Amino acid sequence: MTLVAEQAAQRGARVDLRDVCTAAVAALPVGGAGISAMSTSVANYPLCSTDGTSEQLEELQLTLGEGPCVDAFTGSVPILTPDMADSELQDSWPVFATEALTLGAVAIFALPLQIGAISPGVLDLYASKPGPLGAEDLADALAFADLATLILLDSVHGGPAGMPDNKEEETGYALEANGYRAEIDQATGILTVQLGVGIDEAFVRLRAHAFTHGHRITHVAADVVAHRLRFRPDAEPYRTDQDR
Amino acid sequence: MNERLLAETFVELADNLVADFDLIDFLRLLSDRCVSLLGTSAAGVLFADRDGALRVMAASDEQVRLLELFQLQNDEGPCLECFHTGTAVAAPELAAEAGRWPRFTAQAALHGFGAVQALPMRLRDETVGALNLFRTTPGPFDPVSTSIAQALADVATISLLQQRSTQRGHALNEQLQTALNSRVLIEQAKGKLAERQGIDMEQAFTALRRYARAHNRRLADVARDFINDTEALTELTL
Repeated sequence: MTLVAEQAAQRGARVDLRDVCTAAVAALPVGGAGISAMSTSVANYPLCSTDGTSEQLEELQLTLGEGPCVDAFTGSVPILTPDMADSELQDSWPVFATEALTLGAVAIFALPLQIGAISPGVLDLYASKPGPLGAEDLADALAFADLATLILLDSVHGGPAGMPDNKEEETGYALEANGYRAEIDQATGILTVQLGVGIDEAFVRLRAHAFTHGHRITHVAADVVAHRLRFRPDAEPYRTDQDR
Repeated sequence: MNERLLAETFVELADNLVADFDLIDFLRLLSDRCVSLLGTSAAGVLFADRDGALRVMAASDEQVRLLELFQLQNDEGPCLECFHTGTAVAAPELAAEAGRWPRFTAQAALHGFGAVQALPMRLRDETVGALNLFRTTPGPFDPVSTSIAQALADVATISLLQQRSTQRGHALNEQLQTALNSRVLIEQAKGKLAERQGIDMEQAFTALRRYARAHNRRLADVARDFINDTEALTELTL
């Protein structure tokens, strides 16, 4: 993921979604990348794209309400389409399949940005030649999608400035060196109740607390699950094991 | 080995592997049957994610402490070795393995476990995960029980494939991705329900599972709707 940080450094700015898209295009055998914000409650909208074709693909899908991006969001599953000329697709996406081919998008890979019920959008990648993403490329694409998820959440819910979203190994979710921890997800669920917020915001608050206090998110999560740390809507979280 | 129980277990598992089955619910059933059939104290099914990290998909007990013991094996332990070598790893005398896995053996001892086994979940030449079995009493593993445990691990692998065949053209990687995300959903929902009701993680899981079954819905779907406040879980029984 150093590629993403390099993109941001070149612009002299904090890592944002454009950097993820640009890095994805540099790393993967694709011609362009785009990200759209998706939601079941408010209107979907395109967030960024690396080129004109990507931009049109995003807008088309959101306008038509059909396409891999839409299916990836509603089904919470990657929709990998190695050949848009496949006749079956004409049934699934009657308008979009033809339009995409006209634009030169012969293969489209749509990856939902998701962490359980947190699903703020979709990353779309297109190629001008047919063919599947190899296993390693798919793993990389999923890693880009994970990074985009964190950046998008922070930008919507106001993660603290300077949050090291390009250094996920320090405080992050997906790339913990010692592997995935169920407590992070349990703690996120717990915070929806303690803070009275949605799951997206609960997750951002958990990460932000870890970051601002210089703790690993796994440690903060373990404290929340063990009831050693309680979050409150209008005040700093307090430790319940220091009262004694 | 109770042969009748063995036969009943495999019939039950096969019955549950029907179209549109619920992977997480199925793997919990399989974990529970490992305990009742093989005389183990705890069992868990772990899948490897795209980074090769082992993630718990189901366990015979959803308490945090047991999940932690599975997770710890991303650093050291029988599951990690089993996954990397693709072969079964057995430690009949866990106390004797302190040099091999210092942290893991210490944690396992704290939980009162004396023996552990990890069976590979293999798909052709690829290892996709491991079945992890814990026993309180140390001592050799019965070869017959071990081959049954491997058969159960194979059933767990088949269930992942079966899930795939119900969705058009999805490769194993995507299938795993979906399964792993389902598990994240369930952890999030467990946290929310446990906090709201003042119950523990196992009780929260059991309540969600019972509700999903009673309403003929997938556990992951119920979890998602509960988190998004579109499922109030009315008439939830704890």
